[in-house]
Amino acid sequence: MSSSTRGRIGFSCAYTPLPAIAAAGFVPHRILPLSASPDQAGRYLHDNLCPHVKRLVDRAMDDDLPPMAGMVVVNSCDAMRRLADAWRHVRPKEPVFLLDLPATGDAAAVAFFATEIERLAQALDEWGGRALETGALKHAADRYNQLGALFATLRQQMVQGRLPGGRSRLQVLYNRATEMGPAAAADMLAAELDATGQDCGGDGVPIYLFGNVLADPEAFALIEAGGARVVGDDFCTGSRLFSPVEISGGGEGFKGLARSLLKRPPCARTFMADKPGALVDHVLAGAAASAARGVIGHTLKFCDPYLARLPIVRDALRDAGIPLLLLEGDCSLGSIGQQRTRIEAFIEMLR
Amino acid sequence: MMKSYFDDLVSGIEARLAEDPENRSPRKVYALEVARLGQRLYGETESVAWCGVTAPFDLLAAMGVTSCFVEFVGAMLAATGMEGAFLEEAEHAGYGGDTCGYHRAVLGAARKDLMPVPDFLIATSSPCTGGLAVMENLARHFEKDLFVLNVPQEASDAGVRYLADQIRDMAAFVADHTGQRLDPARLRQAIDNTNRARTLLEEAYQLAQHVPSPVTGRMMGNFGVVMALLLGTEAAVTVARTYRDAFARRVEKGEGGLARENLRLLWIQNRIQFKNPLIEMLEKDFGAVVVADELNAITWEAIDPDDPYEGLARRAISIPFNGQGRRRVDHLQKMAASFKVNGAINPCNWGCRQGTGARGLIGEGLKAVGVPVLNLEVDCIDSRNFAEGQLRTRLEAFAEMIAGRPSPWH
Repeated sequence: MSSSTRGRIGFSCAYTPLPAIAAAGFVPHRILPLSASPDQAGRYLHDNLCPHVKRLVDRAMDDDLPPMAGMVVVNSCDAMRRLADAWRHVRPKEPVFLLDLPATGDAAAVAFFATEIERLAQALDEWGGRALETGALKHAADRYNQLGALFATLRQQMVQGRLPGGRSRLQVLYNRATEMGPAAAADMLAAELDATGQDCGGDGVPIYLFGNVLADPEAFALIEAGGARVVGDDFCTGSRLFSPVEISGGGEGFKGLARSLLKRPPCARTFMADKPGALVDHVLAGAAASAARGVIGHTLKFCDPYLARLPIVRDALRDAGIPLLLLEGDCSLGSIGQQRTRIEAFIEMLR
Repeated sequence: MMKSYFDDLVSGIEARLAEDPENRSPRKVYALEVARLGQRLYGETESVAWCGVTAPFDLLAAMGVTSCFVEFVGAMLAATGMEGAFLEEAEHAGYGGDTCGYHRAVLGAARKDLMPVPDFLIATSSPCTGGLAVMENLARHFEKDLFVLNVPQEASDAGVRYLADQIRDMAAFVADHTGQRLDPARLRQAIDNTNRARTLLEEAYQLAQHVPSPVTGRMMGNFGVVMALLLGTEAAVTVARTYRDAFARRVEKGEGGLARENLRLLWIQNRIQFKNPLIEMLEKDFGAVVVADELNAITWEAIDPDDPYEGLARRAISIPFNGQGRRRVDHLQKMAASFKVNGAINPCNWGCRQGTGARGLIGEGLKAVGVPVLNLEVDCIDSRNFAEGQLRTRLEAFAEMIAGRPSPWH
């Protein structure tokens, strides 16, 4: 059976072990919170729950999804756990796998997460996939690393002002890549690279962006239209998903994958016990490395992991003399559109 | 301030209990031990650990550490009507009103130096990501070492082994910070106390299921979750036995907690922590008694005193807030049946993603067994926006509605 006929596996979190899904012969397909589906999730989920999760449930209830062989939900936060509950309820015929994810990245956590990925591999096998072998896993990881390298090149071109459409165009590519297998995505990016490289000009103010979920390309277009030039960013729906995966041989496949995922640029929900508040350092380092003149943080309403850490991020950036604009969204363009004036004023202040 | 508050509380309750030593109110015995815990936390004489909700408090007790989950502070501030200033402090520091009131109050208390500086902190990934985040913030604030217990969602072999190993590592971490190794004899004694308390609590909860129930609505508020703090100590055994015996006496006499029990209610998640008249109103106006609270249940097996780590791990994994929502719904359905409740009240604590997030699924699950659910929109800690009149009207309508229906258990 070819990979294309095994079907798609839905996912919704950057900690999803995509190489394991691809190696089992499925196409990992990110369910993005981009849809015109009506608001219905409130029937099962409270109003104060993450709008990302609610948009995904809206899509599921509206059947605004491609045919899927199953859904993988990572237990990255309370909202994601509730997503798994609601998904089971609204799509009872579709298998759902809840992948347990430790909050820390120590050796014991890596070992446990590896057993969870192995459990996922068994489920994928039961869902009609191929039995996973280290060789196939390594091959899939290599494909994703190739994809990650292509995205790195595109990001470099964006920073140099040689990617037509800038960060908004990059988001279009991120979104497409997360809905197809790594080989097809690599082909798409290679074709894109062939068409880039011309100086697009642009004298925007260099800005570093960070946050959780910001998938709408129009949101980036709005920020760029406000006078920003995005020189670096870190989002769940962006580069985080394509950071390198290291898998060595010798039966260490799942452990290598687990280690790589837990070492990824962290979502606020992951931290180091011996260095509380390390998210602050990550944002500071990102802003410094990209020589940004200011930072814009965009987080979703009701996101506990970020809500709890934003005050210390704000204090640290203030102490470092780096201006910060915090925006809160709900996965609708309207929510960021309402903040256009604040974005323009922030950029203007930095000129 | 807090030290003298708890000192006064302890002496006041002791005096009242001494007035009638043969007929000690179980709630007062419980309140005394909780106040004594507060005394130790603020006494500045013992090692103190701030913890997450599912930390192994009996193991910490065996190691001579006074430990407490931080949400206790939020509840205590609300119960004493002091939460407003601390919530405002946290909000001024940037912690928004959409976050959990328990955690905001704790962060405000820490910033205003109301919380004793701990020797170290033990975070737990269950029940909520918000709780984990507040522990990270507190570790940064106090500049104290943090240990994280990742609690798996399911009691698989790998999950139990992972958590049991972490608890072993935690014991080593604690020993490094207190300078005292874990004494196997003390641990065995602590686990024995836990098991004795467990048996007595199980008996008390079973007696509470009797019709009419020996409980009153106030008697069991916050009981199960706070009892976890006393586990491992003789105090836990004393409190559990006092409850069990008081219930047994009432059941034997055929007495209910209320003279006239018309309706039996299940309270989902936590109580509203600040003073409010709703429970009394339900009892007085409708004869409606909260006979069951979601966390007043034993969900774990007795722990092997000679090899407790696996049992401690299983206990942490077993709480209804952990794991899939389906498990929680099953738990609530079983409670509804065993307590023969007519209805359930779900105070959807604003800011609680893990708890209120699944309210629709909980509502459907209980409806499936014939139990209607009233969802209340309330912040269980923050009294500033408490809409008493609105909640009272909704509770009245709900009580009238279920009074007009036959019990699903007849």
